[in-house]
Amino acid sequence: MDITFVIINAIVVASIYGLLAVAVSITWSSLGLINLGYGFVFSFAGYCAYVVAENVSEFPAVVAAAGILGGALAGVMICLLVFIPLHDKPNFTTRGMIGTLAISLIGSQALLMYFGPRAKSLPEIFGFWSVKIFGTVLTSDKIGIVVCSIIMLIVVVMWMRGSRRGLEIRAMMMNPHAASIVGIGIRSTGIYVMAMTGAMAGLAAVLLSQTYYIAPFSGLTPLIKGVSIALCGGLGSVSGAVIAAVILGLTEAITSRYLGGQYVLITQFLVIITILIVRPRGIAGLLDKAREQ
Amino acid sequence: MTDVLRIDGLSAGYGPLRVIHDLDLVIRPGERLGIVGLNGHGKTTLLYAIAGLTGWQRGSILLNGVQIGRTRSQGPGRYTHQIVRKGLAIMPQGDEIFTGLTVEEHLDSGAFTREAWRDRKARKERVLDLFEPLRKLMKTPVGRLSGGERRMVSIGRGLMTDAKLYLVDEPSLGLAPKIGQSVMEALLALDLKESAMFIAEQNVALLEGRVDRVIGMHAGKLKGEASATLGVGS
Repeated sequence: MDITFVIINAIVVASIYGLLAVAVSITWSSLGLINLGYGFVFSFAGYCAYVVAENVSEFPAVVAAAGILGGALAGVMICLLVFIPLHDKPNFTTRGMIGTLAISLIGSQALLMYFGPRAKSLPEIFGFWSVKIFGTVLTSDKIGIVVCSIIMLIVVVMWMRGSRRGLEIRAMMMNPHAASIVGIGIRSTGIYVMAMTGAMAGLAAVLLSQTYYIAPFSGLTPLIKGVSIALCGGLGSVSGAVIAAVILGLTEAITSRYLGGQYVLITQFLVIITILIVRPRGIAGLLDKAREQ
Repeated sequence: MTDVLRIDGLSAGYGPLRVIHDLDLVIRPGERLGIVGLNGHGKTTLLYAIAGLTGWQRGSILLNGVQIGRTRSQGPGRYTHQIVRKGLAIMPQGDEIFTGLTVEEHLDSGAFTREAWRDRKARKERVLDLFEPLRKLMKTPVGRLSGGERRMVSIGRGLMTDAKLYLVDEPSLGLAPKIGQSVMEALLALDLKESAMFIAEQNVALLEGRVDRVIGMHAGKLKGEASATLGVGS
């Protein structure tokens, strides 16, 4: 019973961080940008969902859609403010990181000034019900979180595989030089990518707000975890990010069950460091055959 | 009829290094032009300059009467995708393929204009008729193909749109002579209609007598124009 409880918690945590990690990973591999702005995207999407829930409707789908759209909007904002002006300047990787981090801090500060320091809560979008499986009680929000993230991930992967824009993004991920030769512009691709990954972060924000509150700086911890999971999975690989998210979710669940919640960050980063020492390229180097050539 | 490509007084290179000096070139519709020259004499740079992949210091390039690129340095490659959309098809040296995409996805990615995307099925069929070996490899990631097959993919990708000008860089480079020859056959068999083709090549024998004009390139300048039938080597 203990073990099922830990595993369920691990999956719930993994699905939220996985969404962010996949977003970080896709942005890095297609645009060469390590986007530290997801902290802001995350909080902004949370507040969008909150404003809509307060003023428009508390209907679950509307709240979730507001979060997703808010995230996409914030992603496009970061793209316009940081990526497009900086992307062809020398030393773009470092500048991009600093620029997006600045957006993250300024944006969160602006949210703090506008909404005040009091944390807000979203309505329970998955309702109150529970199922009992293997002697463990599964609450509605846990099931909802896992199902929603899996659906979002499937939608994103299908879109990347099946659509024309997805083809362009994947081409950009593999060879930006060749992509420009076949008429794919990095700036327009940037907008699609950032909107899509922003939407993923927005959904993650709405899902996390089922357990935690929305606060101006609530995006920072998910951002740090998302970036480190993406690093661990091997930047640029979706499957690697998912595997790393599961591993770190397990670490988090086990640590908080047997050692206590205050040790979570310590054990998590020990695991991340160990993985990166053993496999400097991250986990995905094992899986992604195309990258080896 | 406007020229497909008109280059006036072009000087281009990488950063402060100048590779091409005061180059003039006109390519007319329906023409196949061969540029021959040794390694390091600027064939690829000329091609890159046309595509905006390298900065240029001076001169002008008109594609179908429209000025493309600009002399002010904007960062190499910044406007390449826009220039390409004005009617270039580039089949670069070293293939520049996307290793993780399948052959079919490559051909799709080449169909970047709206019309080409709409009837990409028919166009893929046309490319496959030209490169029969690719037919059974459509679902294979390109990273697993041989050098010759990759070259076919990279050229096939360039053939997916209706380009005004096809830029082909060293189609036979690094291939077994027989395969190089068959790739060249395919390029020469293509019906150009109003567009034109520009082939940079080291192996004169492959071009001799089969293209409309052959121009030598030496130290960043075009040297003498030989009609193809006379043979450049002699």
